[in-house]
Amino acid sequence: MLSALPEAIGILLSLEGLLVLVMGTVLGIVLGAMPGIGSTVAVAIVLPFTLTMGQAPAILLLLAVYAGSVYGGSIAAILINTPGTPQSAATCLDGYPMAQRGEAGLALGWATVASVVGGLVSAVVLIFAAPQLAAFALQFGPIETFALILLGMTCIVSVSTGSVVKGLMAGMIGIFLSTVGGDPILGEMRFTFGNWQLFAGFNLLAVVIGVFALSEVFIRASKPISRVSNLVAFSGIILPTWKMWKGRLRNLAKSVAIGNVIGVLPGTGAATAAFISYAEGRRSSPNREGFGKGEPDGIVSSEAANNAVTGGALVPTMALGIPGDAITAVMLATLTLHGITPGPKLVDDNPTLIAAIFAGFFVINILLLPLGMLLSRVAAPILRIREAFMMTAIVILCAVGIYFVRGNPFDLLVMGGAGFVGFLLRRQGVPMAPLVIGMVLGPTLELTLRQGLILTDGSFLAFFTGHPIALVLALAALLALSLPLLRSLLSRTAS
Amino acid sequence: MQRFANERVVVQFGLLILAVALYASTFQQSFSASDLAQSPMFFPRIILTLWIGLAVVALIQTVRTQETQSPIASWPRIGVVIVAALIYTNVIGSEGFFLPSVVFALICLPAFGVRNPLLVAVFAILVPGALVFLFNHTLGMPLPTSRFTYVF
Repeated sequence: MLSALPEAIGILLSLEGLLVLVMGTVLGIVLGAMPGIGSTVAVAIVLPFTLTMGQAPAILLLLAVYAGSVYGGSIAAILINTPGTPQSAATCLDGYPMAQRGEAGLALGWATVASVVGGLVSAVVLIFAAPQLAAFALQFGPIETFALILLGMTCIVSVSTGSVVKGLMAGMIGIFLSTVGGDPILGEMRFTFGNWQLFAGFNLLAVVIGVFALSEVFIRASKPISRVSNLVAFSGIILPTWKMWKGRLRNLAKSVAIGNVIGVLPGTGAATAAFISYAEGRRSSPNREGFGKGEPDGIVSSEAANNAVTGGALVPTMALGIPGDAITAVMLATLTLHGITPGPKLVDDNPTLIAAIFAGFFVINILLLPLGMLLSRVAAPILRIREAFMMTAIVILCAVGIYFVRGNPFDLLVMGGAGFVGFLLRRQGVPMAPLVIGMVLGPTLELTLRQGLILTDGSFLAFFTGHPIALVLALAALLALSLPLLRSLLSRTAS
Repeated sequence: MQRFANERVVVQFGLLILAVALYASTFQQSFSASDLAQSPMFFPRIILTLWIGLAVVALIQTVRTQETQSPIASWPRIGVVIVAALIYTNVIGSEGFFLPSVVFALICLPAFGVRNPLLVAVFAILVPGALVFLFNHTLGMPLPTSRFTYVF
């Protein structure tokens, strides 16, 4: 991969590369700052526009939006006490009290520096960990890949907020949707019911945008209209001095480590990392007495951890093709849409692309500092924009984006349908991330299962008796699947 | 009766019926492969069986736990927004991008509580207009145009 670095740097330094990095970060910060949009919706809105780009700029744009939106969430959290993204919820606890004391600029300064440090360290972790993991995974044949995808599917359990059963069901719906259209081995049509538009299957992008972005608009329409007005006085970011960091660096290092470790674990996510890090900071920081009353260590704990998750979460995504959460599932969907097969061979087959992604991710995190300082002033008035305008614009932008993918009006219908179904399911507590994970991993799961059955003359048992790696992965999958179910059963019995 | 006739139960039951219907449809489609494992329906049947099983468990859980659901703040608003969005995504292909977008914004903004007619009109014309100008006339990546003119 190192040999591909000069070419990768060339991509980053090209006009398109630079534009993508800057524009993506800007968009990410602005969208992340808008309460309720969140990283997943931000990435989903931008996704269709990447399809006219090359592979590297497309992925870099989404990465920039992802990292930018995680940081952008802190702006709304600090200035209006409403987290722009769920992962910034912990930032409200100390950010807003600081802002109320008239220290909004300094609070955003702490958040900016902590975010940049968290993101940069996670980029280093990504650069070193992902190739190692992928090199090991290169030994995998169809049977091992099947077991790996099976393990990846278990992350559905951890991303299933609310009900594991409903999350698993959503996963099954997603896998089923991926089977519509041509059969991967024989090419015969399935579940098309005579509709030629379905011969190529459901457009993944239309479903992703429908269930995340459009259903969000419907969800908002079902709730009381919110009018944001509690914006505190703010005149620009003030970066904390070196002297101010004394006694806080240990907390920063610990938060970054927590974010990276949690990020690598599939299905945990940035919000979990931020709260675990905040709780750890509250337990161990020398300034713990001030937590909840506007203590900078609280902001640092939350922001360093949630930004450190971004690189960590990309490790299993890039190295194994296993998405850790909804956002990395959308990233995987993007890779698929660009003709790249996610999985262990990704790093080996696309060294230049991967090197560009890794180097670009590093640059994006550096860009957060100047762009964050610049944009926080712009983002503050944006926070006053009424929900009505944001929601209407989202629907129109989604329609434009989807139309661009194939110029096929049928995709717009699929998006509308997916949005309505997504709204209905989300109201019943059915999470949407498993549906997307199922749709992304489903085709590989089916293909490797059937290839494996050809190799073993139809014996499913031989998958595990003759393939120790597959056996270990399957046992890990079984463990990952049964542990939360067992835990919830035990807690119910105890209660 | 309320225990069985509520939105949660109806949706869960609908998901179950859908899965059963899809499973039944797998037997009505004929394929060339004779080997069971290589049949195009082999994998979907496994998935649909799991879907049915999970839907039954979810349905039982829903009936037994009687979870409270977040109420709809305004049925007219959600109804208008959903219907408008579904029609909007349906007609872009035939009526072009600009006109349906303007109408959609004119319906959606008041539904979300914007009462200033000038603001509604300006947004409804400016945002789709700017997008048409950008994509059709600047980037050369045309959005669908209406049956009346090629300009928008």
